[in-house]
Amino acid sequence: MPAELNLDEIVQKYRPVVSFKVKKSLGTRTPDWEDVVNEVITQVIEKVKKGEFRGESSIGTFIYTITSRRIIDYIRQKTKVLKGIPEPSILPDPCDDTESRERARILGEAIKRLKPKFKEVLDLYYYQELSREEVAQRLGISPRRVSERLNYAQKLLRKMIKR
Amino acid sequence: MSMKRCKFEDQIDNYLLNRLEGGDRDKFEEHYFNCTNCFQKIEERNDLIAAIKSRGASIFKEEPVPERKTFVPTFEKIYSFFTPRQWATAAISAALLLVAVFGILPQFRKSTPQFFLSENEVVRGESLSLISPIIDVKVVPSFFEWKQLGQDVEYKIYIYNDKLLWTASTKENRVDVPEDIKQLMVAGEKYSWQVRAFSSKGTLIAVSSKVQFQIKATE
Repeated sequence: MPAELNLDEIVQKYRPVVSFKVKKSLGTRTPDWEDVVNEVITQVIEKVKKGEFRGESSIGTFIYTITSRRIIDYIRQKTKVLKGIPEPSILPDPCDDTESRERARILGEAIKRLKPKFKEVLDLYYYQELSREEVAQRLGISPRRVSERLNYAQKLLRKMIKR
Repeated sequence: MSMKRCKFEDQIDNYLLNRLEGGDRDKFEEHYFNCTNCFQKIEERNDLIAAIKSRGASIFKEEPVPERKTFVPTFEKIYSFFTPRQWATAAISAALLLVAVFGILPQFRKSTPQFFLSENEVVRGESLSLISPIIDVKVVPSFFEWKQLGQDVEYKIYIYNDKLLWTASTKENRVDVPEDIKQLMVAGEKYSWQVRAFSSKGTLIAVSSKVQFQIKATE
């Protein structure tokens, strides 16, 4: 184990990243997602303690590999259990907890206050999921302008929410 | 904080909107496990997309997104204003109006007099030019002459002092002044004259301007 690794710092830094990846892969509606995260963190601590992390890759890549394998194992296990039953959706639904819902509400209100030209680009690109080129065609502007409007809209939202 | 833009940043939307697949998705995920900066941006963008996905219906319902900005919708709107039968009627009416304005009305204009006289006898339309006398003369003129307008035109000449002195009609473009009238015209006095032309049907077709001349007194 490389001497400079501090396990507390690793856990603190990587728990949100692991959680994000697990939620993205399994969806927050999968009730076990938090268990999967805890299992990944436990495995990371054990493997680091056993000296399995030898610094051949970055610690980030090491943790990513453990996370990915655990997710695959979880899906295989669930598939076996639920064989014959339709697979549950694994689409992420990040607004399940109260904190996320409140964040979504605040953001939603801020988006409503944006100028129509920013709102329409957010609507077409993120809500209706048109491609950048399709949005450009729909609005009669260049794809580059679409990107600029998306970036500027997010900059404005950041400012509005900080206030 | 470094302002250098990470090459993976452009893939954030594609990843969150599930457009990255296989190896590209794996590389991207491995990257954000190693890049704090990108991970922060991913979280922030994910919040935005989550808010839009969960509340989009209410956020965007007030102002519907416009359709493609071309002239087609406007044209369709105009076109749908009438039924095809109404459009056909309108087109025929417009065609008849054009025929009336550019085809029939000019013909009427040709048959109408090409001039009119106001109270001050201002002449408009076909001109009738006077030839003689048009300047002061030394002796009483024995004839009056003007430019001929065409065949079968009758001219009526008017000679005025303070009032109408003499009038006569002719089909020639000149007229001799009778002796008794010549005697009425005296040296030192100012006179004016005018000619009007009439068609064979008696329609006034031209009027000359009123020309003034003086018979200079002999010393």
